[in-house]
Amino acid sequence: MSIRSIHWPHAVACLLVAVTAVLLCFGALVTTFDAAMAVPDWPATYGHNMFLFPLSEWLHGPWDLFLEHGHRLLGAAAGMVALVLAAATFLQERRRIVRWLVVAAVALVIVQGLLGGARVLLDDRTIAKVHACTGPLFFAVAVAIATLTASGSKPSRRSDGEPAVRAGDANVLPAASACLVAASYIQLVAGAQLRHLDASLDPQTFRQIVVVHLVGAAVVAVLSAVSAAAAWRRPGPAQRGWATVVFLLIACQVLLGGAAWVANWGVPAVAQGTMLDAIAPTGPVVARSLQGSVVVTLHVVLGMAILAASVVLAIRAGAAPFALEAAKPQRAGAVA
Amino acid sequence: MTKAMSKHTSTQPVSVRPVLSLHVAASLGLLVTVLAVGCGPTPAASFRTNMVMAAKQRLTTDQERQVATIVEAMFGTPDEPVALPETGLDEAKLLLAAGPVRSDIVGRKNGLYREHCVHCHGITGDGLGPTAAFLNPYPRDYRPGVFKFKSTERADKPTHADLKRILHNGIVGTSMPSFALLGDAQVDALVEYVKYLSMRGETEIKLMQAYFELDDDAQGKLPETREFLVDEVLAGVAEKWKSAADAAIPVPEMPADIDLAASIAKGKELFHGDKANCVKCHGVTALGDGQANDYDDWNKAIVDFGREIAGSREQAAKTSTAEMSPDELAEHKATLAWLEKSRQVLDGDSLRPRTIPPRNLRQAVYRGGRRPLDLYYRIHAGIHGAPMPAAKGTIPPEEIWHIVNYIRSLPYEFDGELGADRSMVASGR
Repeated sequence: MSIRSIHWPHAVACLLVAVTAVLLCFGALVTTFDAAMAVPDWPATYGHNMFLFPLSEWLHGPWDLFLEHGHRLLGAAAGMVALVLAAATFLQERRRIVRWLVVAAVALVIVQGLLGGARVLLDDRTIAKVHACTGPLFFAVAVAIATLTASGSKPSRRSDGEPAVRAGDANVLPAASACLVAASYIQLVAGAQLRHLDASLDPQTFRQIVVVHLVGAAVVAVLSAVSAAAAWRRPGPAQRGWATVVFLLIACQVLLGGAAWVANWGVPAVAQGTMLDAIAPTGPVVARSLQGSVVVTLHVVLGMAILAASVVLAIRAGAAPFALEAAKPQRAGAVA
Repeated sequence: MTKAMSKHTSTQPVSVRPVLSLHVAASLGLLVTVLAVGCGPTPAASFRTNMVMAAKQRLTTDQERQVATIVEAMFGTPDEPVALPETGLDEAKLLLAAGPVRSDIVGRKNGLYREHCVHCHGITGDGLGPTAAFLNPYPRDYRPGVFKFKSTERADKPTHADLKRILHNGIVGTSMPSFALLGDAQVDALVEYVKYLSMRGETEIKLMQAYFELDDDAQGKLPETREFLVDEVLAGVAEKWKSAADAAIPVPEMPADIDLAASIAKGKELFHGDKANCVKCHGVTALGDGQANDYDDWNKAIVDFGREIAGSREQAAKTSTAEMSPDELAEHKATLAWLEKSRQVLDGDSLRPRTIPPRNLRQAVYRGGRRPLDLYYRIHAGIHGAPMPAAKGTIPPEEIWHIVNYIRSLPYEFDGELGADRSMVASGR
């Protein structure tokens, strides 16, 4: 394979997805350990240029400093990769949807960086919530770009040579998968409200947010089941894999959600005396324990993985607006 | 080590000077971003007035405001706490625990209370944090200054070590976590802050109650003199905390040559007998299936006030205003307004009351600690704020040890013996 034959937008988009995934993991850990204010200044780090902060101080310093500074460096890396992606896309890609998505990615990564800075300089938890909602959005856009620029990305309704889909089933998978993307994202937004708790929030409002999150979980579970069923009813194996992956991820996520609650606050009052009570650890919850922190962070990371997998499924299933564009990558030279 | 590195590893706050152009660009960007998302900054944290107590005492809005002003002058705010010398509190520890979570020096994290405790106990320590409604039992409301698990007599305050032990071990069977992974200095700071919130809450309650004792000359206002506020009210609250260190319950050693089987048998007899009467609540089987419809003091206060309001509303609804004089009518309207306000306060500032079930002693889950000494304290002094009574004065210390030994044997008792004691109790009465 020569360097000219590489489809750079896809390669760089994949790199962006990888960097962003690690960035989001660091972000989730920052929230778990309440480390967002471990560095009180921004864009500098304790008076240093962020990129020149001593490596030994970062790697061997306190855990919360490691997380927060690492999060900043990864954010900067994601921003730079997004700019490279923009250049590659405008040189090699002609599809308007891809170009617009790249513009959105660059805009989002800038806004996200500024929100991160605002959260630190203003020490404001409301901005932290917005920051937590913009991160997954950027990740979803990056995944969408990577999926659309992949050579094998073909919306099913446009594929040739596959047996025809029954008329009644034709729109189920695209519609359900598109709704799944929206519902997964809303779940992350509701989860962010629970993770970034305002100290002054009253119990009634917190209870309402929990109810929204639980109802959202049920909606996501149903949508993933519908998507999986629709994919398996289709004649070809096209989207079965992704639909099954999403369904299994959500099954794990439901279990992790319960575990995350117990790891934070023990068995909730409504579940006392039930099976959850019987299988929960008998000792007290240990604040900041490794197990508890891993479970809570995994719940967030898996939520983002579900969003990403839903985006891939929706695109491959031909959900609007992606179905409107030609499937295979269109190089600038080929179109011109 | 470079000069730059040594700068932020020192113990002095770091002077933060980012590059000017970057700062300006970032600030402009921030402004646009914040405006774009349409959210202003989160308001500064503030203590909530004890509205249930204010409603109980029938305080006017002006009186509520006066109490809030006095308490703020004496104790400061959640971000800037004040510790007057009379409290005996260590302000340096308070500053470590108070305020928002942030580090100004590498490795030193402030705002420990807001990081670890506020979600359940609330900014004010009123047990009304965001998660409170989901927890059973509800998080402790520090404001009455009542703590359950301690080494002191029932009505005394806990010692610093008692609170530290609770934070270190957590409370098994509840949502109170163990903070064993925190450093000693951090746990110390949190304990100090809990005492601060408790003193603040107790002072607020005492001030509210003081309106009841005002004479007519005071015109419904508390005297704002140092003699009254500090020397009388605050000193009275603080003194109980200061004296807690010397108020530990004297515990006789358990005899080294004790016959354990005989001790357990004696303890069993006491457990079921009239003198200790443990079976009344813990049940004949010790499964906690005795009397289970009682409330702890925190919930009982809400239940009683709710009943008082409901009764008064019922009575007010039956009252005819047709033949009332203007003065009587004005008083009637004031009562109706107070009842409505009280109803709203109960809806907004309290959680639905829950009964407190007696402990199932066969599970080996002892909230106040599993050491024999902890069980001795629970039996000797009872549990402050809970229906568990003190055996002090009723049962001699050596007999308390027999009950401790019996209770510790219960989780290992053969299943077939469950309920076998019913006949023993029946014949014994």
